[in-house]
Amino acid sequence: MRLAFEDVSYSYDGGQTKRRRGKRAAEKQERRADWGNAPDARWALREVTFAVEPGEFFGVAGHTGSGKSTLIQHMNGLVHPTCGRVTADGEDLAAKGVAATVRSRVGLVFQYPENQLFATTVYDDVAFGPRNMKLPEDEVARRVEQALALVGLSVDEIGERSPFDLSGGQQRRVAFAGVLAMEPEVLVLDEPVAGLDPLSRADFLALIASFHASGMTVVMVSHSMEDLAVLADRILVLSEGRMFSLGTPAEVFADPAALKAVGLAAPASQAFANALREAGFALNRALYDEEALAADIAAQLDGIANGTGEVAADAGNAAPGAACGDLCAEGGVDHG
Amino acid sequence: MTQSVPSPDRIAAAGATAPDGHASPAGSLQGGAGAGARTDGSAEEVFVDFRDAGFTYDGERFVFRHLDLTVPQGQFLCLLGGNGSGKSTLAKHVNALLLPDEGEVRVFGCDTRDDEQTYFIRSNAGLVFQNPDDQIVASLIENDVAFGPENLGVPNPELRERVTRALAEVGLMGFEEHETHALSGGQKQRVAIAGVLAMDPAILILDEATAMLDPRGRAGLMRVVRELHAAGMTVVMITHYMEEAAAAERVVVLDGGAVVLDGAPAEVLTRADELRALSLEVPFACRLSLDLQARGVPVRTCVSDDELKEELCALRSKM
Amino acid sequence: MAERAIIGQYWPEESAVHAMDPRVKFVLSLVLMAAVFCATTPLSLAVAALFVAGFYAASRIPLIQVVRSLAPLLVLVVLTALLNVLFVQGGQVYFQWGVICISEKGLQSAVFIGCRLLLLLMGMSLLTLTTTTLDITAAFERLMAPLARIGVPAHELGMILGIALRFLPQFMTELGVIYRAQVSRGAHFNVNPFKGGVRTLTALMVPLFASAFRHAETLSGAMEARCYHGGVGITRLNPLALTWRDGVGTGAILLMLAAVIAVNFI
Repeated sequence: MRLAFEDVSYSYDGGQTKRRRGKRAAEKQERRADWGNAPDARWALREVTFAVEPGEFFGVAGHTGSGKSTLIQHMNGLVHPTCGRVTADGEDLAAKGVAATVRSRVGLVFQYPENQLFATTVYDDVAFGPRNMKLPEDEVARRVEQALALVGLSVDEIGERSPFDLSGGQQRRVAFAGVLAMEPEVLVLDEPVAGLDPLSRADFLALIASFHASGMTVVMVSHSMEDLAVLADRILVLSEGRMFSLGTPAEVFADPAALKAVGLAAPASQAFANALREAGFALNRALYDEEALAADIAAQLDGIANGTGEVAADAGNAAPGAACGDLCAEGGVDHG
Repeated sequence: MTQSVPSPDRIAAAGATAPDGHASPAGSLQGGAGAGARTDGSAEEVFVDFRDAGFTYDGERFVFRHLDLTVPQGQFLCLLGGNGSGKSTLAKHVNALLLPDEGEVRVFGCDTRDDEQTYFIRSNAGLVFQNPDDQIVASLIENDVAFGPENLGVPNPELRERVTRALAEVGLMGFEEHETHALSGGQKQRVAIAGVLAMDPAILILDEATAMLDPRGRAGLMRVVRELHAAGMTVVMITHYMEEAAAAERVVVLDGGAVVLDGAPAEVLTRADELRALSLEVPFACRLSLDLQARGVPVRTCVSDDELKEELCALRSKM
Repeated sequence: MAERAIIGQYWPEESAVHAMDPRVKFVLSLVLMAAVFCATTPLSLAVAALFVAGFYAASRIPLIQVVRSLAPLLVLVVLTALLNVLFVQGGQVYFQWGVICISEKGLQSAVFIGCRLLLLLMGMSLLTLTTTTLDITAAFERLMAPLARIGVPAHELGMILGIALRFLPQFMTELGVIYRAQVSRGAHFNVNPFKGGVRTLTALMVPLFASAFRHAETLSGAMEARCYHGGVGITRLNPLALTWRDGVGTGAILLMLAAVIAVNFI
């Protein structure tokens, strides 16, 4: 499915009446909040235009209050633009009845999704979506089993347990399964690894990469540029509701100073490469992962290094966490 | 910054300034100032002292056992450890929210199990929790910050001064009458710290206080913590983030309730293999310097980016 | 803002009425309502109205805001007036159709009762318009304090009320997130609540309660960590203190009561 945003603006207090007023009205009413995520910050999104292509891993970055969460709620028609439109395969999501049918095809996983678990058993919770789709019970059973398997859980082991008795990480997996059971073509994730410790973070990122590898289009909102640099094909950076930049990780992270100005930090290796560049090192790649950076620095210091260009025996050392080692290598080479 | 270097005398004074005639809390504070704390000469330097301490929630499985750990006055200590390593349980012991089942925990020389000292310890060892939404009690910022000192019976011109000062210390000067609900996570967490600072503590304990914040909120909070420490505050910080640990003076790694690594960040955070085995991250600068070493570049193993950058520039100038 | 509408329509302004002690305002608004009830003749009611208008002028609240805050309650006034028109009979009959009969006495009573009710509501609104919910809570707690001696947990009730107010906007936000998350999973909340709607309703309420319990657990720890131990020996950041304004206010209200009663006999 191709999700396209066409000149989308969204105002918190703009109902249907404002939809036709167009851009000029939008500009007139602009008012910026200077204190926190003040509720009277009027425009959550301003003139946003982009498309998520089928099969893509699309990253959305921006600090708190930049409009990320509002943006993704447009993707399954939970909210409709005040101006502009969002289309799924050409159909306007604001048209009557479209959003309801699109919701089973665009799965939306909210931040801290474990806080939305409610059923008495894991099975019933995961089955909530498929049952709302009015699927026959044997199909529901198949989907629940498959969705739980996708997140590395077994329906036989935990299907009859209460979701509230599970560990935090398992609860989040069950919540993921609840959305996967609707078998969406596009999976939209809002800060999927927020609040996790480093080990579980790596596990969940690997899990998300596996969803994408299986053919799903993935949209991931994150404030970790590290994760996006490794996983995403393209990254949209939002600032104050506007598109700050859109492009491949190499393009987006090319200017760490500009990113810092909108409250984001470039990935550590990229930021460090930039610092060294300023200090006079000749580092030519557009996007650096840790291995590439180490290799280029070593090449620069050729005369001093005792074993020139010698590749580390343990390449996995360079990866941020053991579990995501292969991911990092794969992502880095692609964009390097 | 008005924060003076805390000393046992200052703590004694904090106890004594509580108004006379108040019933339970003020009385116990004065008890804290008098007895216990100052009988042992060596205890003056040590603020927190776990002596062969053990704790269990269910009477069977110990979260930690035979734990020995001391925190001297003025130190910035960072506690690391995977899930279930006992770090949060340990933090609650410093504040006397939890009491040891075995051994003893002494804070400012007072046994935490001594009921008389409970409020003395709690007001002097301020604890900030992970979730900003779960520790704000009032709708207005000033009322929330005043909650601690109100409970201690601090009388009014001083109470107002404390609120103003605490808010200034966390960079929220003039926000007294803002609603707590409209704040961002980072701002809420700074209000929570102000609420603790208003009790005039000698130790600040942060239990994963940055875990739920975005990078901007995290950076703001760390700046506040570093400033407080520079002004003499003893800080015990629990975190997952290595760049925060690198800013500490001492890093203690817990595993299964036992101290497995203890030392300066440069010593502890460079032990990549051991950290990975404990399912902890290795700081970026350390990973890169190890990789460079493997490629034959003679760099030291560094913990901070700046350090590694200087090292590399020095190498380059030698060429 | 939805949450503001629920909490009350406090209108920030720097006026003598705003600056009065909330306890005094709390009690005086009760006396004001009693005074309105005492007015039994149109003339005495007019005197009461004059006083209420004067109080509003002193509070400096814009007229439009007063109307806005009273608008939802006007239904009540109109309904009461209508009932009076229909059920009070006597004097000249202006209109008759079947059982419906509009008479002179009916109209008189409708206008009188309608005005009285309006004044009562205005008296009540004056308190909520000029006093923050926090102050009303504090006033309530302090006024209840003497009852603590007979076992009423006044401080605890105040604390509960305060925490409830602090968490109300948060639960509204959380409920919104849960709602959108369940809608994303295909839930329909606009269906008949008796036909399969129970399941979708639990999908909203269970996560909300689970969250409330989670908050309660950590919040109690956080309160303990900040030396909370009940109401004994605590001080207040904003202690309630009586000023000359409270004296003037009390005098004005008592004058109103006296004037209304006196005019009744004219």
